[in-house]
Amino acid sequence: MKSYKDSLIYKQASFSLGLSLLYTLIIGLAAFEWETFEIRPQVMILMLANGIFSIIQAGLVWKLKRESRKTLVISKSSQLIAGGLIVSLLGGNIFLLISSLYIMKKQVRPGYIYAVYMVVTDLLVIGVSALNLFKPFVTNTFIPAMALLLVVVVLHLIVLVGYEKVQKLTGVPRMIILGILTLTVLTGNLFVLLVAYSMVRQSQEEPGVNRRKTLFEKIIRNQASMTGLLFIIFLVAISICSYWTFSYGLAVNNDYGNILQPPSLVYPFGTDNFGRDVFSRIVFGARISLTVGVLATMIPLIFGGLLGAISGYYGRHTDNLIMRFLDILYAIPGILLAITIVAAFGASTSNLIIALSIGYIPSYARTMRANVIQVTNLEYVEASRAVGNDNRNIIWKHVIPNSMAPMIVRATLTIGSAIIATSSLSYLGLGVENYIPEWGNILRSGSAYLETEPYLAIYPGLAIIALVLSFNFLGDGIRDATDPRLS
Amino acid sequence: MKKTLFSTVTLLSALVLSACNVTTEDEATNGNSSENQETVAIDLLGATADEQDLNILRDQLTRNGFEVNVNQQPDYASYRTQRDAGNFDISVASWTTVTGNPDYSVRSLFTSEGDSRVITPDPEVDELINQAAAETPEEYVETYSEMENTIVTENAYAVALYNPLKAQAFNQDLLVPESVRLSKSRAFAWDSVEYQDEAMNETEPLTLTQTESDLTSLDPIKGNDGSINQLNTNMYVRLVNLQDDDTVTSEASLSYNHAIGESRSDYYFILRDDINFASVEDGQAVDSGERVGAEDVIYSLERASNPDSVPDHRTYSLHSFIDEVSVVSDMSELENTTVAGEDTTVLESLEADLDAPINSLVTDETEADSSAGDYQVVKLTTTEPFPQVLNYLAHQSAGIVSIDQVEAVNDYDIDNFDINTTIPYGDQRAVTEGETYDNHLYASGPYIMIQKNDYEATFQRNPAYMPESENAANIENVTVRFIGDMDSALSALRSNEVDMLYGLEETQYEVVEGAENLTLQTGPSNAVTYLIINTTNEESKTAQSEDLRKAILYSINQDDFVQSYDGQVNKAFTPVTPLVETGNELTADPDLVQEHLTNYLEQAE
Repeated sequence: MKSYKDSLIYKQASFSLGLSLLYTLIIGLAAFEWETFEIRPQVMILMLANGIFSIIQAGLVWKLKRESRKTLVISKSSQLIAGGLIVSLLGGNIFLLISSLYIMKKQVRPGYIYAVYMVVTDLLVIGVSALNLFKPFVTNTFIPAMALLLVVVVLHLIVLVGYEKVQKLTGVPRMIILGILTLTVLTGNLFVLLVAYSMVRQSQEEPGVNRRKTLFEKIIRNQASMTGLLFIIFLVAISICSYWTFSYGLAVNNDYGNILQPPSLVYPFGTDNFGRDVFSRIVFGARISLTVGVLATMIPLIFGGLLGAISGYYGRHTDNLIMRFLDILYAIPGILLAITIVAAFGASTSNLIIALSIGYIPSYARTMRANVIQVTNLEYVEASRAVGNDNRNIIWKHVIPNSMAPMIVRATLTIGSAIIATSSLSYLGLGVENYIPEWGNILRSGSAYLETEPYLAIYPGLAIIALVLSFNFLGDGIRDATDPRLS
Repeated sequence: MKKTLFSTVTLLSALVLSACNVTTEDEATNGNSSENQETVAIDLLGATADEQDLNILRDQLTRNGFEVNVNQQPDYASYRTQRDAGNFDISVASWTTVTGNPDYSVRSLFTSEGDSRVITPDPEVDELINQAAAETPEEYVETYSEMENTIVTENAYAVALYNPLKAQAFNQDLLVPESVRLSKSRAFAWDSVEYQDEAMNETEPLTLTQTESDLTSLDPIKGNDGSINQLNTNMYVRLVNLQDDDTVTSEASLSYNHAIGESRSDYYFILRDDINFASVEDGQAVDSGERVGAEDVIYSLERASNPDSVPDHRTYSLHSFIDEVSVVSDMSELENTTVAGEDTTVLESLEADLDAPINSLVTDETEADSSAGDYQVVKLTTTEPFPQVLNYLAHQSAGIVSIDQVEAVNDYDIDNFDINTTIPYGDQRAVTEGETYDNHLYASGPYIMIQKNDYEATFQRNPAYMPESENAANIENVTVRFIGDMDSALSALRSNEVDMLYGLEETQYEVVEGAENLTLQTGPSNAVTYLIINTTNEESKTAQSEDLRKAILYSINQDDFVQSYDGQVNKAFTPVTPLVETGNELTADPDLVQEHLTNYLEQAE
């Protein structure tokens, strides 16, 4: 367990084992019809298959641990077992796929890891979109869009499998491959950017020089935050792809012939009290939750950050004036302020974003101000001032870049609460209009059927929990990665 | 090697995918899904409670080429503000005909003088309503049908969406099921309810719920809404009552019997002598010693029909047909008048089933003695023949109050009345715990309110309400909990916190049916959820264009409402539908919608 690479692979393998076991357990629970004590045979087979895969993985993890005491290189036999475990993808087990792809590689580079996640995201998007095939009809652009997605996944697979070969390419072919690869980010798969970035960075590396690791290279060591990142990027991708692969009509148009249908292949999460497909609604809802969550974090990040930077740098009266004003804002409970704003100006998405943003400004300003005060007193700022740089230059060039890290951590951690606030306001009927698919709205309509049709509230609830958890895990990962004591 | 393998597999699957028989949206809807026509924006107004109806309407209108802007107000008060200000094109509203007669449903809503008029004044509608009022039930079917067509098909002023069921649930382990009544129109009567364990009648309060905690007024004529209907119904006795199927009866009312004179404008009531007003002393209901007599009846009905009798009178339009109320002292009047449509005299009719026949008529209520045959008879004359007046007399606003007490409390100068400094009779401040508490209520009904706060109101049985008869209330104490939303109220019922829940929502039926200790009662109701198409605000585009109104009208498909409510609602045409079988029905017609929309757009250009 001396090599960092081996340790990363081993950690990923055991992490995947845990998730795989959890996944098996959930399928196991779904395999039983609790009221009648019957077993659903297909789901049972799926569970058994995943159970077997998990057992094999457990053996593999034990083997890796034992072998790592003797050698730093992963044995051929382990790689073969891992290769065999790729079959588990057929059982929907993406966790084992990730660990297998790690183990099978001789040398695991950050770019390769991101490539693994890139392909997994593609597979998830395609898999979720393919569920539309069971619907009575698909949207008009479904077939071309799916074909395009399949082309993209093939391209991504080529990059993944031939990672080292692509990396060794030079000149025009390399430019073309990287260019095309970067273009596929239009599907919303942000991992593409990370792959391309890592490839470029890796090629600039000079052998023998030990340079500082970037944030993206550090974060891959944290499996939980990578899983969070995977879920977030999956949602971004599905939000974008759903424009062409999902029918918006199924999510908003009432269908009185299919009211309150239980979950089935046609309606994976059932239908609500207006016969709308809850699955489609959740997919479309991701768009609003993500947009509102990100925007309601970006706006206070920028405004709060700016106000905090100014008041921290100039101090004295400027500081007093700005901070006392923000203290007043701070004294009003955020959610009440948001409710008041929405109630006064009407329920709409833009009002919702503004309402949530204003409440968050003071806390960002406080964080930024503290960082700026600390940074301003450092020698390099003093030096910069001594050589005659003006204040604006010093703030932009030295102060802000060096105070950003805690702000980014804070932002990732508060996106979660912004998403919860959005959903809470929608739940109270104060968010977006209630026919529009938004997770809080879906949860709200489901809450009336909590006893008779619980799935109507469970699935949107799980979606909210998963997204918020993902952002929290990611935030934790970024915090650890930027913490100098931990690196 | 691996690369080629992967590519082949994925390319193959791509081929399989595109080759398999997938129906696209255009194929499924024959390419009709996207209309190229210009959309018309309309504002749809409603309260949060109407969310389901708003969504169905939005969906239907959107499908027919409208761009619907849903204005959903968080509560009824803000919704009503918007509606009264005319800030809508169409609005969801609901109406319950609590009197059980068709005239009430249309007079308030559709006549020029209606107290809650929702359409522009239309002389044709006024005339038809007045014509129907004077007619017998057989005759008025035709007239109401014509009126319905004038409002809906000819002018598209308003249209009903559906007629829900009336539903209530109670704890069958606690209450005797037969004692819990479900009436079509009448508010829930507490006096008949009894516990399975008789001993509990005296000790355990009957716990009920209602959503509104802000009570309009406990003076019967100063309110007609959900916050007080049930409370006032149980606090004030009336000359007649409605049975569960909306027929008028004297049973459990202030009269032993009633009779309609041959002119159909004179109505006679023979009064009971066993009801005294209850008052509250030291937090206990006591017999005030004052009998409910003809003097109180005359006073109560005259102030009910006089718009200027109190400030903020809210129910005079219900009683506008009352011309004169008097006490009958001349026996020969009863002997010489025959009952409408029958051969018997009014005297015979009034005497039927009495313990002692009428010996003499007295004017002073203290002299009345039914065992000796000394009775009080009240005669009510209507401005024109109007048999439906009896339904109005059964309404809570015709509840009998004490002339002495009301006059004593309402000693203010009506012209300089200021609600902030004066507490008139029935004002909730008089019964709200705290500084202003000074319970001045005099209740003629089976119960009297002791006090209220923001969470509950407590009532006690009137000790002098028909004490010897079977009509006396069974349960000593009643508590009405104010629970703001029906889901919490249902939880309270299931946790035995309340004994009964009145007015269940459709989504709650299944939960109640699944609970072992609860019984669900459903029956027809006189409630109608309807759509107002704005014609009162002349600025609105619906008021200016009949074509637009008709386009909206024919977009409505009532089948969707029935399906959406799981078949628990009936179709309706206007608020009259549950009361009169006119046979009119609204059929959705997308072609007519397009025709009217095209006309509208052409005119707009």
